Amino acid sequence: MKVCLIFVLCLLGFPGNAHEMTPAYPVLDSSYIGGVAVAKMKLFNRREDIKYYQIDVFTEDWKPVSFATTDRVLKVGYNKNKLFNVYIRFADVKRARYICTTSKVFKGGNQEALVSSMICSKIK
Amino acid sequence: MTIKTITAVALLLSTSSAMAEESPINGTVQPKCSVYTETQGVYGHPLPDKLSTATADGGVSTTIRYDIAQADFYKAQITHPNSFSSSPTLNDAVAWTGSTVVGQVSVTEMSAYEAAKVISPSNVTTFDMTLAGSTWFTVSSTAIYGYNKSLPAGSYTAIIQADCIAK
Repeated sequence: MKVCLIFVLCLLGFPGNAHEMTPAYPVLDSSYIGGVAVAKMKLFNRREDIKYYQIDVFTEDWKPVSFATTDRVLKVGYNKNKLFNVYIRFADVKRARYICTTSKVFKGGNQEALVSSMICSKIK
Repeated sequence: MTIKTITAVALLLSTSSAMAEESPINGTVQPKCSVYTETQGVYGHPLPDKLSTATADGGVSTTIRYDIAQADFYKAQITHPNSFSSSPTLNDAVAWTGSTVVGQVSVTEMSAYEAAKVISPSNVTTFDMTLAGSTWFTVSSTAIYGYNKSLPAGSYTAIIQADCIAK
């Protein structure tokens, strides 16, 4: 039954707008800059209504952690992947727990309830 | 050599060259969460002081789908609005209510997510995604303005936050 349902859902093609980020558990490596670790991330935008995603790094209790990246707000086209690096100082590595991307929603619209999605990977 | 012999040798050579080809297909399976906006919510305006996504009020509830590639790696956290992200100037308080419930599921056992959900604070609902597959969540939102006051004319937008957090 389960297999049949999954097969039917696959045939239907799962219409919708998706936000994906991998890996779920990024590994911090030494970067080419001394005293700085780097996590290599990949974002996939299948939300036609979204063009921009904001990157954030948080502690276990959701306090912001300083980090560096090429663009804090990424422009990602519809159905496109974007690879990005997050640089965290060795001094902050122990505090950093989550790397998150959040879709940036335009305020406009008419009597709508818009959806902003956030996906967080966990540094272990 | 006869034509038959030449043809036989040519056929053998062509067969052996075809067998030398290999085309590997590589893939990676890893924990992954995808958040889909299946249905964008719309506020109905059934009363002068009320905006609501309920069907009975002329609105459309938001449907969000979470696809989990590997079991037990993520939790879903959905926040229904408690303010407008854009609206005309409002001079009185707005009372907000809302809910997030499990709708369709791709695996029958996912129905248990509804009973196990945690609501804290009042507008944030957390689900532990212990199974791989797809889960559809229905999010409703209602805003009531002041005490029997009419909402000013204009456009109103509120934002639902759908989070997928690695455990």
